[in-house]
Amino acid sequence: MAQKKPDLSIEFCGKKYINPFLLSSSPVSNSAEMVERAFDAGWGGVVFKTLGSDRLRIDHPSPRMNSMTVGTRKMSTVQNVEQITDRPLKDNLMELLYLKKHYPDRRIIHSIMGFADKEWEYLAKMSEDHGADTLELNFSCPNMTIEGSGDQAGKSFYDIEHYTSIVKRAVSIPVMAKMTPNITDMTETAMAAKNGGADAISAINTVSGITGINLDTLVPQPEVFGRGASSGTSGPGVKPIGLRFISDMAKDANLNLPLSGMGGIETWIDALEYLLVGASTLQVTTGIMHYGYIIVQDMIEGLTDYMASKGIMKLDNLIGSTLPKLGKTDLFDLDRQGVVEYDLDKCVGCGQCLNVCTDAGGQALKWDDVTRRPELNEDKCLSCMLCSFVCPVSGLIKYKAMPEGWKRNETAIRDPSLEKELKYEPYVHDGDDGCLV
Amino acid sequence: MGISDVKDRFKQMPPGMNMDQAIVEAERCLLCHDAPCSKACPAGTEPGEFIRKLRLRNITGAIRTIKSNNILGGACGVLCPTAELCERECSAMMASDENPGGSDKAIRIGDIQRFLVEHSREIDFQPVEVEESGVSGKIAVVGSGPAGLSCAAEVSKLGYKATIFEALAEPGGVLRYGVVPFRCDTDFVEKEIADVTALGVEIKCNSPIEGKAAAEDLLKQGYDAVFMAPGLWGAYALQDDSANIDGCYSSVDFLASIRNENFDNIISDFKGKTVAVIGGGSVAMDCVEAAARLDTTDVNLIYRRSYTQMPAEEIERIEALQHGINFYILHQPTEFLKDGNKLTGLKLVRTKLGEPDESGRRRPLLIEGTEWDMPADIVIEAIGNKAVDDSSDWYPNVKVDGKKLIVAESETGATSVPGIFAGGDIVRGPALVVEAVQDGKVAAKAIHEYLSDKE
Ligand SMILES: Cc1cc2nc3c(=O)[nH]c(=O)nc-3n(C[C@H](O)[C@H](O)[C@H](O)COP(=O)(O)OP(=O)(O)OC[C@H]3O[C@@H](n4cnc5c(N)ncnc54)[C@H](O)[C@@H]3O)c2cc1C
Ligand code: SF4
Repeated sequence: MAQKKPDLSIEFCGKKYINPFLLSSSPVSNSAEMVERAFDAGWGGVVFKTLGSDRLRIDHPSPRMNSMTVGTRKMSTVQNVEQITDRPLKDNLMELLYLKKHYPDRRIIHSIMGFADKEWEYLAKMSEDHGADTLELNFSCPNMTIEGSGDQAGKSFYDIEHYTSIVKRAVSIPVMAKMTPNITDMTETAMAAKNGGADAISAINTVSGITGINLDTLVPQPEVFGRGASSGTSGPGVKPIGLRFISDMAKDANLNLPLSGMGGIETWIDALEYLLVGASTLQVTTGIMHYGYIIVQDMIEGLTDYMASKGIMKLDNLIGSTLPKLGKTDLFDLDRQGVVEYDLDKCVGCGQCLNVCTDAGGQALKWDDVTRRPELNEDKCLSCMLCSFVCPVSGLIKYKAMPEGWKRNETAIRDPSLEKELKYEPYVHDGDDGCLV
Repeated sequence: MGISDVKDRFKQMPPGMNMDQAIVEAERCLLCHDAPCSKACPAGTEPGEFIRKLRLRNITGAIRTIKSNNILGGACGVLCPTAELCERECSAMMASDENPGGSDKAIRIGDIQRFLVEHSREIDFQPVEVEESGVSGKIAVVGSGPAGLSCAAEVSKLGYKATIFEALAEPGGVLRYGVVPFRCDTDFVEKEIADVTALGVEIKCNSPIEGKAAAEDLLKQGYDAVFMAPGLWGAYALQDDSANIDGCYSSVDFLASIRNENFDNIISDFKGKTVAVIGGGSVAMDCVEAAARLDTTDVNLIYRRSYTQMPAEEIERIEALQHGINFYILHQPTEFLKDGNKLTGLKLVRTKLGEPDESGRRRPLLIEGTEWDMPADIVIEAIGNKAVDDSSDWYPNVKVDGKKLIVAESETGATSVPGIFAGGDIVRGPALVVEAVQDGKVAAKAIHEYLSDKE
């Protein structure tokens, strides 16, 4: 008999979302016609392409993007040089009215970017007057050609707090600040937004980077008529950075704001990981640029099946579940050690394990030339796990925890006779030498 | 070789893909936006969708796509002649106007499909659920082959109570008693059937619906609709009495014996013998492959047309050749040679190709003066299955054609008798598992509409 299905709906900044999956503010949320198709595919909401006031003309560089292929994986990282919308505000507001009217169960978030105090205030009011459920303040576009905007503002505690407070004073709808990852500690920039009154934080915007250089013209890609720039990179390659910043903010008790996570979300597994480190809504662009709006169906289905298999019926019960297990490396129990374990019945004899262990691991493998199979010397295994990463057969090489107290051999010395030439003396310190521990 | 060693050769089909291979293959998929593979699947199994789901690691979803569209998706993954169906349309072959033949292989859709279904069992994932629709009604299904199983599963999903009546001791139809187990093994077939019974379908084995109007009477016995899917269990033969010759088998009897209590006898009867199989279709290929595994001395395949005209899939033909089957193409058997009632061989005549016949294939013409005698201890006739002779008596008011195939509307499976629907081989003539599945789906939908209208 049909069981009750897990519920993917969630409350974020006091608004109800039918599911946590939102289009992020980007080329995928550029028009009502596009967003409409996305909603029909199942997306729970949109952060519309960042609105501007029309005061300064926006021209996008051409071409706008470059893709980094790793092996057969196309678009493993994508680099873009897009700016905020190039459409007139009037047109955009009509588009947003349309969406509001026809999709009352979807949340419409307006992303805005001003270039002056009054302009932030103006855009915030315009948005509120045209039905925005929430505002997202774009402090994070790394591609703006207009001085002092985008992630230039997002790297300044003053600007973040200042513009946030202007917007907060102007409107009564919730305000979310979107953060740039091109900084060292996001809890600080996020705290500036909170001090300005922000109700939520979204992160990460794209990471400044260079995905490739044209080896004939020597111009970085995308090559805009002879010039290139470090610019916004996104896609599966940036997920570790996004997860890191979201978890940092989620763990910060002082910050304590709802988080909208993004950066490399493509599958339900990526989405779940963001939820587990504390995001409660999720935004996607590059996954859509690669596969289209339809991927939301796989995210919904995959996440629902996962929750059903774990008996978790509400999304809330997942959010932040990883955080208690996530800490600094100095909390690791270094007394416990382990090695790898090989199930050689599954081995196909490629020997990639041997290469990586010999040149980057513990030299713990030998190769049997006759059987063409590796032989492991556990005593030398560093448990770096490199061999398991290159092994073509899943589950052949696994981690094995060793009994408490087990220690591996130290790396052998190439030529012990050199001891007589040593000028070595052990480091001694008397009293306090300023050591941190 | 002992009997148990011979039996071992029949027990299992070769292993399928594992997860790593399936993912590599899915990565190769071009995710065509109009998925020509999906359009080419006779049963709407939606390969374009399940491969995309696999690609995006929505593995349970991929399994759900397969099984909710095609309850026998595992068996189809194994048995579909994919090179003629979904894979034939695959863009990953990189065929273009510039390069019409393409430069790569099609995505291995059937293998991925089989893997996903096998994986569902490994992770104990049951993707198909009964809808809470509030409908009620009892549906009788005659025959537990692919068509019957598919129809029963579909009506059960809608909320009806389906009962399958099966003449034989075990369910599955051709999946169990036709297809050789080294192509689709019993364990696998049973798991596919378990997915059907998990929906609440009841299968009554050893329960033939035969005799005067027996099928039509089901409507009087409280069933609201009947789906006829008895398949084709009669066999064409070169001469009427060939079944009585000692050493002569029909493909139907021979293949069924592999899965029943006769198997031990078959093993000892075939050991060391020369076997001639007549026919050029997939069933003939199953017969030669099975005969070759029975410690026979020679297995000769006799076919009256040319190699390229054989209806069997190319891969089956190549494999048979590689397994040492001797192909006697352009040979027509004209007579059984006997010593008393004991078969000793076949009289063969060479043929040549003439003008095209009604099937569009060039007609084989006997070449005079080329008769010769081929010695053989055993002959298996694999020249076609047909409806059993008295089948139309079970449903005297249902319109049938000259070959006793039931006449049914292709969009609904409706027969000339209201409430009686039909599908699978009994309607199409010898066809495919995946087509039988489709007939079951179509009929289930039509039965639902018929009963909804009646209310
Ligand atoms: C040897 C062989 C190999 C084949 N290989 C392939 C293949 O590789 N791929 C492929 O796609 N197709 C293959 N086919 C074709 C495919 O098996 C058929 O198209 C398919 O099985 C038809 O399904 P069905 O449900 O109509 O009939 P069947 O599978 O024939 O099932 C009919 C069932 O009805 C039962 N029955 C008959 N009469 C009665 C009655 N009066 N009362 C109760 N029960 C009754 C029968 O016992 C049987 O179980 C093969 C066929 C054969 C014979
Ligand atoms: S059911 Fe058969 S034809 Fe359809 S997609 Fe699967 S393998 Fe291809």
